Amino acid sequence: MASPKVAVLVFPGTNSEVETWRICRDVGLDSDVVHWSRAQTLPDYDAYVLPGGFAYEDRIRAGAVPAHDPMMDYVIEAAQGGKLVLGICNGAQIVLEAGLVPGTGPVRKPTAAFTKNGPVPHFVCKHVYLKLAVDPGRCAITAALERDAVIPAWAAHGEGRLAATTDHLQEIVDGGHLAFVYAHADGTVDERATPNASALFCAGLTNKAGNVLAIMPHPERDAWNFNHPRRREGTDILAPSGGVKLFSAFAKALKS
Amino acid sequence: MSLYSVAVKLKIPDNEAYTALTALRRLGVNVARLERAVVWQFEDAADPVARIERSETLYNPNKHELEVLEQNGPRAGEAWIEELGAREERGMRRYIAWRLFADAHAPADDATVRAAVERLLCNPAIERAIT
Repeated sequence: MASPKVAVLVFPGTNSEVETWRICRDVGLDSDVVHWSRAQTLPDYDAYVLPGGFAYEDRIRAGAVPAHDPMMDYVIEAAQGGKLVLGICNGAQIVLEAGLVPGTGPVRKPTAAFTKNGPVPHFVCKHVYLKLAVDPGRCAITAALERDAVIPAWAAHGEGRLAATTDHLQEIVDGGHLAFVYAHADGTVDERATPNASALFCAGLTNKAGNVLAIMPHPERDAWNFNHPRRREGTDILAPSGGVKLFSAFAKALKS
Repeated sequence: MSLYSVAVKLKIPDNEAYTALTALRRLGVNVARLERAVVWQFEDAADPVARIERSETLYNPNKHELEVLEQNGPRAGEAWIEELGAREERGMRRYIAWRLFADAHAPADDATVRAAVERLLCNPAIERAIT
């Protein structure tokens, strides 16, 4: 069987495509960086990763313009067909604006947003932990993680606070869309572990089918020993307890 | 009490407005021209222009121009977008005003403005549109 191919999408203003491509490569995925001018090649891929950055300079709202980019026509069609889609940081904002997660409304009619941080609307750059908040099998990308898995990552965003109406937040809870919450290293969840006052302590959302995952923090920035806070963990270049856990699970999902 | 609305517009090319224009056209919303401004609304000021001009974070004379609006709401062809739950800044409410034109000077009709708001300019999960 041919190795699954992953497209790491680049919109004008994306800036995390290289480390995202590298971590996909280092967990054994055949991945390419695909720029917006090559959108027509996207149907050739088996999965899509939308990395961080400031696509279209966050004009109008973070994720609003790229959600309507021709690249997203392919990604939305692929997601509806069951292919895996992972959005990280700005990629998560795009996935939300495209209506793929939580997916409780029509496509490109968002019912939630990752918006300005609270309580003070400042950019946050902080080491954080993500705790899996659903049954691992609820989302295909997390299926290989253990229950209540805690994954280290770096939050680096000015607009990462989940916001929605009370009804839509309830839909997120009832529908099992809350994939990851912010936590302490020991897995306890509270306001102090949440760097941006995100509703429900939300760090990541999935859709009804569980093939799309949007996470605000960057696990790829805590994946190798050179950027993992506990440096020199083992002899491998990858830090086994780092953010690589999520990408290993992503690779397993693609190869299973 | 008097209510004032002061629009702060770029006098240099507005890249964000141009991006919005091209995105709307791609979505099939027929707009010839688009203007964007930040509208600050506040009550009781001896000199509303001076109140904005005093703040270097709101107004830079090298790239902005100010206009005291004749009405405290959207004009024809215009939509104001307000962030839900936003705190007042220095006692002022903040709106993003998008003004759409059907040709060089004629404002876009209501249906066009509504389409632009629904398809791109407003995320109702976090924003409110006034048209």
